[in-house]
Amino acid sequence: MKTIEILRIDSLNRSPLIVEGYLFEGSDPTAPSVAIVGAMEGETILPLYTASKLVDFLRHSLDDESKIVGNILVIPSVNHYALNINQRFWPLDKTDINTMFPGYGEGETTQRIAKKLFNALQGYTHGIILETREGISTCIPYIKLFESGYEDIESAKTFGYRLIHHKSLKPTDTVSLQYNWQLWGTKAYSIICPSDTNIDLHTSNEVFERIINFLSKNEIIEYKTISGYHSTIIKNSDIEVIQTVKSGIFIPTKKVGSTIKKDEMIGKIIHSLEGKVTHRIFSPCDGLIACVYKNGLIFENAVAFRVIKSG
Amino acid sequence: MQITEIFSSQLPVGEKLTIKKGRFEPKERKPDIKRISIVSGTHGDELEGQYVIYLLSSWLRENTDAINGIIDLYPAVNALGIDTITRGFPIYEVDLNRAFPGSKHDYLPGQLVHALAEDVKGSDIAIDIHSSNIFLKEIPQIRINKEFSPSTLPLAKKLNCDFIWIHDAVTVLEATFSHTMNEMGTKTLVVEMGVGMTLTQVYGKQLLSGILNLMKSEGIISTDEEFEQREPFSSEVGDVFYINSPSAGLFVQSITHCAIIKKGDVIGTIVDPLSGKIHDTLYAPSGGILFTLREFPVVYEGSLIARIFGESHENN
Repeated sequence: MKTIEILRIDSLNRSPLIVEGYLFEGSDPTAPSVAIVGAMEGETILPLYTASKLVDFLRHSLDDESKIVGNILVIPSVNHYALNINQRFWPLDKTDINTMFPGYGEGETTQRIAKKLFNALQGYTHGIILETREGISTCIPYIKLFESGYEDIESAKTFGYRLIHHKSLKPTDTVSLQYNWQLWGTKAYSIICPSDTNIDLHTSNEVFERIINFLSKNEIIEYKTISGYHSTIIKNSDIEVIQTVKSGIFIPTKKVGSTIKKDEMIGKIIHSLEGKVTHRIFSPCDGLIACVYKNGLIFENAVAFRVIKSG
Repeated sequence: MQITEIFSSQLPVGEKLTIKKGRFEPKERKPDIKRISIVSGTHGDELEGQYVIYLLSSWLRENTDAINGIIDLYPAVNALGIDTITRGFPIYEVDLNRAFPGSKHDYLPGQLVHALAEDVKGSDIAIDIHSSNIFLKEIPQIRINKEFSPSTLPLAKKLNCDFIWIHDAVTVLEATFSHTMNEMGTKTLVVEMGVGMTLTQVYGKQLLSGILNLMKSEGIISTDEEFEQREPFSSEVGDVFYINSPSAGLFVQSITHCAIIKKGDVIGTIVDPLSGKIHDTLYAPSGGILFTLREFPVVYEGSLIARIFGESHENN
């Protein structure tokens, strides 16, 4: 394993931001290769944890180095500065590095970070980006794949995640790492991780094992894995968005990942000053709760649940 | 003036978020009446537009007989952000000007921008007033997407601003208010001026004259009063030069904002307080007008320091 410096940014008073990648050189130069990017934002604990665990796995859990067949680059964190102060975006100007691709070497700080990172990510067969959802919600782990015209759904299935969200492209997605990586010839996938700030071992193991499954299925490592799900491809039209008609204290009565029946109660809203139940949320369809609002206080009309419709 | 709510959401604890619109209209409406919408406060740290709308509202109150058209005022799109010094939509950390067009079933910021776009829809003209951010000070300028410039440039010239910047179409900017409204058929102009979290009164009064001048020329107001219409520089006849910080440190200005400068003039220095050393001295790469200058002194490598509009690269 080699540690390589991806980029370095100095600061007026903080230690320099030094982003490092861990490069595991495969035994077969012709084998498929992969680069994995962890936390580009702060508040993305699971991406950080998963990527760092992967470094440890590749270093210590394969009994023979030759079992790493293709090159693997893991960059666990890009945005130490945000992680260390529990902020989501670049701490000075609050810009999101994942909206700065392909980057610009003569531009603003986060454009330069994106450019240096993007340069280091070129030439890989596969690219995996560990992300969390925007907004205030958490979710089951799933693959997000943009409808860019360059995406590879069949490869995405080899992770074995339960869901692949084949997502129509918004204008703001055109400056994301996934989209630009695809444009530059890498089969890129975003793994959307739960945005919990504490590590749930069950969920984090699932995220991790699916990546190992992917590496194995694509012959990047030699390692026997237990296959995951036969992934279901979902489009925006398969998602039922459930808003709350009342604000207050939000209590989901069904957990993310639960399968539910039509008319089943999945959450309730409590009046924040008087304690009474002001609203009960019932599912309008059979399905799977893929995302749930994660704060205890909720605004009127906020999206409380996203349910993948079944039946 | 009639005040209405275009969007509301009850907050969790004893408070309601409301986005308000003020409407001025003539006592009698003609069938072909024109409508203009003035929008500001999409970013919670940008306050210059609030002042301009105050000045405009005040003028209209005192000149009700001059009103021939419908004038809709949306001073605080990100009302919660403005009152909490938050640029994005609070809690969600979403830039509202990258969330258009939104929808009724979008997350809350998307619902809000959808409500705004639906309400402004049908206006003949819209003006979206921004004040840069807390980092940069801008002279009053209009930003125009080249795609829409045939219809918006003639209007921009009437707004009494100093500079018109016509930029190429960029896909990510399709998520902005101006692109959304231009697509919907409303001629929409973006004004940038001043600096975040501040009121620059002289700029506010300058833009007020421009808006009144535009409204008069469009027949939305009718008055004998004459309004200033300065001749703006246009990016069609020159180039924009960017100066980004080559190092981290404290930026110390050496030049007055909005100055005409010569190639090689010192714009400022990047210094290290601890060692007392100057890391870098920044020189103007071109002569011209300095229309953007950094106000917030802490910089990283890449932080934007200044923008100069000057002669094209070939002539420099």
